[in-house]
Amino acid sequence: MKKTLIGLVTALTLVSAARAEVRIGVIVSATGPAASVGVTQQRTVPVLPQKLGGQDVRYILLDDASDTSTTVTNARKLITEEKVDAIVGPSLTPNSLALLDVIAESKTPMISLAGSALIVDPPVDKRRWVFKTPQSDAQMASIVLEHMKRKNIRSVGLIGFSDAYGEGWIKVMTGLLEGAGIKVVASERYQRTDTSVLGQILKITSQNPDAVFIAASGTPAALPQTTMVDRGYKGFVYQTHGVANNDFLRVGGKALEGTFVPAGPVLVAEQLPDSHPAKAAGLDFIKRYEAIPGAGARSTFAAYLWDAQLILNQAIAVASDRAKPGTEEFRIALRDAIENVKDVAGPNGVYNMSPNDHLGLDERSRVMTQIVGGEWRLVQ
Amino acid sequence: MNTDVALILLQDGLVNGAIYTLLATALVLVFSVTRVIFVPQGDLVAFTALTLSAFEAGQRPGTVWIVAFAAAGALSLEMIEAARQRDRARAVRSVLRFGVIPAVVILALFLVPKSAPLFWKMAVSAALITCLGALIYRIVFQPMAAASPLVLLIAAIATHLGLNSIGLHVFGPEGVRTEGFSGSPLALFGMIVTSQAAGVLASSVVVVAALYIFFRFSLRGRALLAAAHNRRGAEIVGISTVAAGRTVFVLAGLAAAVSGLLVGPTTTLYYDSGFILGLKGFVGAIVGGMAVFPLAAAGALLVGTVEAFASFWASAYRDVIVFLLIIPVLFWRSVSTLAPEDGLE
Amino acid sequence: MTRALVRFAPSIALALAALSPLVLPTYQVAVVTYVMIAAVACLGLVLMTGIAGMVSFGHAAFVGLGAYVSGYLSSQLGWPAWIGLACAVIAAALAAGLIGAITVRMSGHYLALATLCFGISFYFLVGNSEMLGRFNGLTGIAPVSVAGFELRSERQTYYLVLVMLVLVIAWCRQLLSSRTGRVLRSLRSGPVIAETFGANAHHYRLMAFVLAAVIGAVAGWLYAHVQRFLSPTPFGLTASIDYLFMTVIGGSGQIWGALLGAGLVTIIKHELQDVLKFVFGPTTRLELLVFAAIMIVVLQKARRGLWPFLEQRFATAIAPVAGIEPAILPRRRAKPAHGLTVLSASRLRRSFGGLLAVDGISFDVKGGEILGILGPNGAGKSTLFNLISGALSRSKGELSFLGSPSSKASARDMCRRGLSRTFQHAALVQDMTVLENVAIGATHLGRCGLFASSLRLDRVEERQLLGWSMHLLDRVGLADKAFELAGNLSLGHQRLVEIARALAADPVLLLLDEPAAGLRTNEKAVLADLLAELRAEGLAIVLVEHDMDFVFSLADRLMVMNFGRRIAVGRPEEVRADTGVQEAYLGVAA
Repeated sequence: MKKTLIGLVTALTLVSAARAEVRIGVIVSATGPAASVGVTQQRTVPVLPQKLGGQDVRYILLDDASDTSTTVTNARKLITEEKVDAIVGPSLTPNSLALLDVIAESKTPMISLAGSALIVDPPVDKRRWVFKTPQSDAQMASIVLEHMKRKNIRSVGLIGFSDAYGEGWIKVMTGLLEGAGIKVVASERYQRTDTSVLGQILKITSQNPDAVFIAASGTPAALPQTTMVDRGYKGFVYQTHGVANNDFLRVGGKALEGTFVPAGPVLVAEQLPDSHPAKAAGLDFIKRYEAIPGAGARSTFAAYLWDAQLILNQAIAVASDRAKPGTEEFRIALRDAIENVKDVAGPNGVYNMSPNDHLGLDERSRVMTQIVGGEWRLVQ
Repeated sequence: MNTDVALILLQDGLVNGAIYTLLATALVLVFSVTRVIFVPQGDLVAFTALTLSAFEAGQRPGTVWIVAFAAAGALSLEMIEAARQRDRARAVRSVLRFGVIPAVVILALFLVPKSAPLFWKMAVSAALITCLGALIYRIVFQPMAAASPLVLLIAAIATHLGLNSIGLHVFGPEGVRTEGFSGSPLALFGMIVTSQAAGVLASSVVVVAALYIFFRFSLRGRALLAAAHNRRGAEIVGISTVAAGRTVFVLAGLAAAVSGLLVGPTTTLYYDSGFILGLKGFVGAIVGGMAVFPLAAAGALLVGTVEAFASFWASAYRDVIVFLLIIPVLFWRSVSTLAPEDGLE
Repeated sequence: MTRALVRFAPSIALALAALSPLVLPTYQVAVVTYVMIAAVACLGLVLMTGIAGMVSFGHAAFVGLGAYVSGYLSSQLGWPAWIGLACAVIAAALAAGLIGAITVRMSGHYLALATLCFGISFYFLVGNSEMLGRFNGLTGIAPVSVAGFELRSERQTYYLVLVMLVLVIAWCRQLLSSRTGRVLRSLRSGPVIAETFGANAHHYRLMAFVLAAVIGAVAGWLYAHVQRFLSPTPFGLTASIDYLFMTVIGGSGQIWGALLGAGLVTIIKHELQDVLKFVFGPTTRLELLVFAAIMIVVLQKARRGLWPFLEQRFATAIAPVAGIEPAILPRRRAKPAHGLTVLSASRLRRSFGGLLAVDGISFDVKGGEILGILGPNGAGKSTLFNLISGALSRSKGELSFLGSPSSKASARDMCRRGLSRTFQHAALVQDMTVLENVAIGATHLGRCGLFASSLRLDRVEERQLLGWSMHLLDRVGLADKAFELAGNLSLGHQRLVEIARALAADPVLLLLDEPAAGLRTNEKAVLADLLAELRAEGLAIVLVEHDMDFVFSLADRLMVMNFGRRIAVGRPEEVRADTGVQEAYLGVAA
């Protein structure tokens, strides 16, 4: 009796009716510690195109409150209740890693919006189902390293968030710097809501390094720099692409003058040469994003979501020829299609996915910018 | 580490400690009268800075809506009770207290022009936050004044979560830094002290001393404490516990506003900065046994100083160091004060 | 009908829980699984905060410890999950033992803050540990397998969690109704009751601390193998606060409250987003505000938590059905011979700061004698009691009990040696039944500890102890109230329960602090008869009482105190005639 009942229920859940629309689940961290990242993505969702690859699309948006447990329940809800064909997000690295099992077991492709290369490397086993749009820390770090070499920097002080973002960056940077024979004089941590980082900064400036690298995101990245300027530090300062928004400029003010920031091309889309493939996509995104009431100036974080949508656009067009949305076959086809997207030009660069590369970005995905006169300037 | 660095760190620690002191004393103040560990104190501090910053940027601070909604809530609660008791005098008092006063403050906000001097903007911001303190008491804590301290603590945490959520909604996720008082740095004992830092230190000393004197020596202060220790007794001799609670929440709101105005220019504050500030203040308050102002101040300063040095030595483990070093102090305090009745249960 | 329904409620709930995955959609099954994991964690907190009265802001750290120990062993060393469970439990017990050894000596807020300190430290230690995946987290944790079958899907893990939850609940219930549990439950009102009846309160506090950690670690183990991914966030301060939230909302101190609180908080948090979408649009960020508002309203309406609130509404009629037969203890302490000196005190002295509360008091009490102590308020009578019973240390003076000196005896030593007492302000555990309260008195007569009661090896002893308590309730005339909550009794009856509890310790010397206060005239007569009977059995009784008629008619000898000094001693009629007494105490000039 019980067995038949179980069988019946399982059968019912397995036979998911094929349907006309494609459903995309979006998980962002719109509240909690990572709100500054997730809020920009959250507000972008309503302006995403309603048709992708010729199919009607419905987006189901959930907030994970920056919490890994909530991410997992959100994903389970999207997969089992909403029967989504793909998931976009989450915004954070630990949260994306938390979903590896869930999505692999349910065979649902996911395009993560988080930074670390750990999410997609190596793209085998569970990670076959995971893709991501943000440039990996290593990609961004390499452009910083090149720039440092060009400026003939011999010693660097590091300071970053004591969380996944800061740790990820500092680990990559330390490896690269040591490999290039540049001395790391100090490696400090601080927290987003700290009211003072004087201790850390004193430790760094007492070694008087040629440059300081700050691995933090959003407005909290300004505090180490203002403190350094107060202490009279005169060397080069590098930030990460996580700071690329105007609130950062507002809070940091004059102290930020001259800072180098590696970023996606979208940050300085207007200044790119017309030949740059990301220019048109970037300007289009900026136009739409800045039209959202209350959104303010462009956000590179929101642009990652835009990139994901562009990738899905190409992939859904392919997959919808092979299977009907809402079926496992469709999800498998969609995964295969995402793995083979070619020349998708988004605000953050050009995506060419392959079975070995679930990020698909090349050197066109990053530019070095400098803060000059309170604005972002492309460094040629 | 040389003496120079040590001196700078010490100064930084003391200034941060002074901020925690302001919070710690407010926590002790609220607790000693109402048995509430007022977790949202830190949120009010952050909200003050966020309000002032919005003002400076020429925007209408979202705090207005928070206060307006809270006032409407408090007023309707009062009206329902007044109607139930058929107490017309109470209805009139309530309209004054929860209708007219917030309305005047909000009106003041609309009247202060963009070009008004900083002082006016500060005054209005402070008034808004002070109102908010009183409103929180009316809505959340007054109806459950007789509950156990643990339940009150949980209610305070819930209040904090609510404020946090509303803060994100109205202020957004990014931080602000307000304009400071102008003034040249002072040289004190061979250290360069910014006027802002000096202001923070001086006002925390003043606040601690004032509260100590108020509760130790003034009749009103002693009456407030009496209300805390024995509600029935206090009511028999004519001290209303409700009025006592309202008074300390107004004071706490004011203290939060002052702290927010002082801290705002020294660092970046976010909608959720308050919790961690409050936590450090809480540590200080507990070192003071939730009762003794000078000891609470000492505890808060200790936290600030240890924190400054720990950030220099091992920044990744800073909080581990700070919180583990607190434990012997707690042990010593716990053993030296035999007051099991002060527990949360 | 309702009564039957309430009685079988746990079984019905269990049956529903066992069947629901068959009908619920997968996602709901997953949510209920999380609710149950949270409920397991909260049960630990119920023991520690609700039962033993120690507020913890670091509970999530123990959950995390269990999760990370098993997660690490599984993902890095490939050890099976069941060995991981054993290791997790051992690690939590060791860690809690070490931390508890320092912290449980602290009181109130200090303890709460100390747990917070450890909780925060755990978060950063894990976040900075390369071995544990730093802030990025730990992946590749294997699912639990039962007889070679891996529990992977939502429904499979649901049953794993359900079984563990039922086991933990059964264990907690078993434990709390045992001898050990009764002492634990008395701790919330302070260490005094436990110490007075021969239990080491500190030892029991530590036990509650360790048990909470172990149960937390079990929850963490479940989390690790259901989620199969770990990062420090779910074990930080916010998580600890969440657990505290659930426990208090559900009704701290209530096993079923943990379930209710965990369910309410988790479900609201998960489902609110969907509901609010319709109100505020898809980009809402106000979930927490609405959540907070709901919580505040619940706390305002049900201050003791939801479970007690519901219980009061719907289940007032239930009385525990237990057939406990009155019984006399098989082995009782031999009563001293009539006239043998039981207690002798010489020149006892105790000062508080500059104030001499007891100043050079000497007296003795003999077997089969009632000594009454008289004196105005503040004369030092209660302090004297505390000195004799070991609750307070004396500044000077000698005490000897049954012929042997008690130089530095604590309250619990004195209890074991045969002294028992009541308090001026009735100190019963309000939310325990009358019978259980009396049984606390017999704590030192039992032997079965934590393990015996966990394994239900304590049944014979329990029957003896409870039967003995029932017998004593019978003697004070309250047998019909045995299963009522002590807090529901009138003050006078509470005093009688206290006497029964003191007698349950099977003493040779009984100290009674104002036993007749609050009793009606006929109740006083019953009490007087009882005391006379006890005297006839050979008990030595010391009595502080304001009711003159009561004392004068009952006491064999009287001692009168004023300002900490003895001003008269002798037979009642001698004392009555003493002019000094009349001036100082009776207030009439002869």
